[in-house]
Amino acid sequence: MKTLIGRILAGVCILASAACTKIDNYDGPNASFQGNIVSSAGGNLLTSGNSSQIRLQQVGWTTPQTIPSKFDGTFQDTKLFKGNYKVVPTGGAFWPVTDTIIVNIGNDTKHDFTVTPYIIIKNFTSTLSGTTLTLKFDITAPIAAGLPIIKDVQPYVNTTKLVGAGASIRDFSDVNAVIINKQFTDMSPAEKSITLTIPNLIPGRTFFVRAGVRLSDSYNSSNFSEIVQVDIPK
Amino acid sequence: MKSLHKLIIAVSIGVGATVSSCQKLNIPPTNIVTPDVIYSSEAGVKSFLATIYRNLPIEDFKYRPDGGEDVDVNGVHYSHPGFNPGNPWMNFYNSASVTGEEVGPYGGMEIGSGFGFWPYGDIRNVNTLIAELPKHVATLTQPTVNALLGEAHFLRAYYYFGMAKRYGGVPIIAVPQDPGAALSTLQVHRDKEEATWDFIGAELDLGFQMMPESSDAGRANKYVAAALKSRAMLYAACVAKYGSVNFVDGQARSSGLVGIPAAKAATYFKAAYDAAKLLEGHYSLYNANSDKVQNFADVFLKSGSPENIFIKQYSIANNTAHSWDATMSPRYMTANALSRSYPTLDLVQLWGNLQITNDDGTPKRFNNRAEIMQGLEPRLLATIYFPGAILRGLTFDMQRGIYPSFSGTAAAEVAKQPNSRSYILSGDTKTLYQGKQVIGFTGPWTGGDELTRTGFYVRKYVDYNKPQASVDLYRSEQPWIDLRYGEILLNRAEAAMELGNSADALTSINQIRERAGATLYASIDLDKVRKERRMELAFENQYYWDLKRWRIADVVLDRAHFKGLMPYYVFNENKYIFLAEPELFNREYTFQKQSYYEPIPGGEIGKNPNLLPNNPNY
Repeated sequence: MKTLIGRILAGVCILASAACTKIDNYDGPNASFQGNIVSSAGGNLLTSGNSSQIRLQQVGWTTPQTIPSKFDGTFQDTKLFKGNYKVVPTGGAFWPVTDTIIVNIGNDTKHDFTVTPYIIIKNFTSTLSGTTLTLKFDITAPIAAGLPIIKDVQPYVNTTKLVGAGASIRDFSDVNAVIINKQFTDMSPAEKSITLTIPNLIPGRTFFVRAGVRLSDSYNSSNFSEIVQVDIPK
Repeated sequence: MKSLHKLIIAVSIGVGATVSSCQKLNIPPTNIVTPDVIYSSEAGVKSFLATIYRNLPIEDFKYRPDGGEDVDVNGVHYSHPGFNPGNPWMNFYNSASVTGEEVGPYGGMEIGSGFGFWPYGDIRNVNTLIAELPKHVATLTQPTVNALLGEAHFLRAYYYFGMAKRYGGVPIIAVPQDPGAALSTLQVHRDKEEATWDFIGAELDLGFQMMPESSDAGRANKYVAAALKSRAMLYAACVAKYGSVNFVDGQARSSGLVGIPAAKAATYFKAAYDAAKLLEGHYSLYNANSDKVQNFADVFLKSGSPENIFIKQYSIANNTAHSWDATMSPRYMTANALSRSYPTLDLVQLWGNLQITNDDGTPKRFNNRAEIMQGLEPRLLATIYFPGAILRGLTFDMQRGIYPSFSGTAAAEVAKQPNSRSYILSGDTKTLYQGKQVIGFTGPWTGGDELTRTGFYVRKYVDYNKPQASVDLYRSEQPWIDLRYGEILLNRAEAAMELGNSADALTSINQIRERAGATLYASIDLDKVRKERRMELAFENQYYWDLKRWRIADVVLDRAHFKGLMPYYVFNENKYIFLAEPELFNREYTFQKQSYYEPIPGGEIGKNPNLLPNNPNY
């Protein structure tokens, strides 16, 4: 009888230990993917909060994921699973990219995408007179034909360097927007030279300012100027 | 002898056991309802239909466009988000509160991606009904079977309509799927959007042909099918016409799963027009009361109205009552409830600008607040409670604050920073200024959500006859009017206008305006038709879909802010003034273009990858 119990116990132990030996031998999300969204007009495509993304879809998996682009046009995600992904830049104010490329993402994979922006902001200047800031710039379009309607232009004003759509002070930004609602090709040269005025800025404060041109594409996205710092004297 | 007794006992037991063991356990299960019970009588089929009706995607008082959460009502758990009976009391969570008809509980476009409505369980019930009914002609008789089949086709169309307007093309499943079939046959593909709308139209045609002319309240008849068809075909027509101009590109669009070729627009407008015309002479606008304000208020409260085509009923006894009365008015006018639905000045100004300023820009002075209502269109006054209006013996005493004195123009005052304005405000209704209450019992105030933030309250559907003590949660039984003749006239006018038949559109719109107590139009255009629709159907959960199908939602709701009408008491003059100011939540609404279609629910894609590609930008 004792030997029987002993044998049963031994058997249970063997089974139990065997049950413990399984190891999750899949790699964690330790791959990374980074790069630049390069503007065909030179430099990186300047964006703002959520306005352009890299869209990834792992081959054999149904749910796509996105990597948001940073304000300077770079992107990075260090918590991806290794594998083949269909990748396409999307969501920004640039001509839609229809060719998805397949990238084998592993450790430290880098890739740059070149896109053609809808609108390029040129000759951007800002002049301060008292508490009123005036922004001047010209807009051009690398491809004018078939461009989505230009909805409006507006300044973006914030107290930090993170300034853009969704990161701006409404009373200085949205309220000073200028409605355009025209096709680019219907705009006269004078209309393409734009002046924005931001009155009543607060004395003694520092603001970060940029301008944006918004188009009625799928995302109502905007092309942005660079960011300038403005110190309002006391 | 003893052993003989034992033998007899043994034999008896043996025989007894043998006999009883011959009982075959071949009895029908007692806990489920089998087809022969359902289909043996019309009453049986009706009880089966009741479930299908109850789950119809009717956007009623309780409909919550973001889904809401599961709830327990009187100990019963409901997990049916969006449509009845999920979240039955918070009736202010409606689509009007993001479209600018009102401001309310939503802080932005939280309803944009819907709640994953996917009613294939209900569709399976209808499909079963359609497959089974013809087998039971012997017990039910042919005319009954035909009528019930017509009803089933209508119901199936209604479910598909609920999906098509959200997702575009969805899989058309018209026969009950066999759960034992191969996975490849169960994982169906989406049909094109055009095919989905065509299917809805064809089903409603069948409903129209097979159903009788009249029905019990809450059930369909042939005209209900025609009425729904006029609405559905208008949606399809607009997707074709406006969706081919303003759209979001993507794989689903290029393969036709969303979007309809523009060339089909006229066909659908014609179908909408023809369907609306079928109701002519069978229903009419409610016009029983010569007092135009009271008459329009009664449209939504009087039973037996000739205007009601399809209604949904509620009952306290059956635990299905809603809470509209309690959640549209402030606690001041209810037994114990919470309001959070405040019509905007933007909506009111569809009827024209209120005369609140003089020609020189100074605010007009009023002796009392009720004077603001003088000369306004009766339909407006019956849709919205204005400052000075009376409900249940109490006055809507909207007052935002007190100006000790007021000089200058309204525009200059409103443009000032709040801290440089000379008004007196208060955080509660108890504070007095020289013996005078600073804010009214009904607001407007910013201290909480439960008093108006715009200076108005909703009047449509509010039962003015209910005594205050019985205005509480789950105590309202007035039916939701899902389809009414007023809408049919508007559908007809819009379709006629789009087809170039402006004379017919003018006649229809003027019928509406005549009943509303408005001045009749001498000429008509599409803008007027759409504006009339917004005015007539305010708070009926229509404008959200109208914005979408006209493909103007991303333009109208582009960083949109809405306004309220703030009444102030001017102390040294003993007068009232009204200022048009941003509503006090100060909310911003932006409609993303991708929301013209909702995403196919992720859980469904997990079960059936063939539902991909998902709608554009998801």
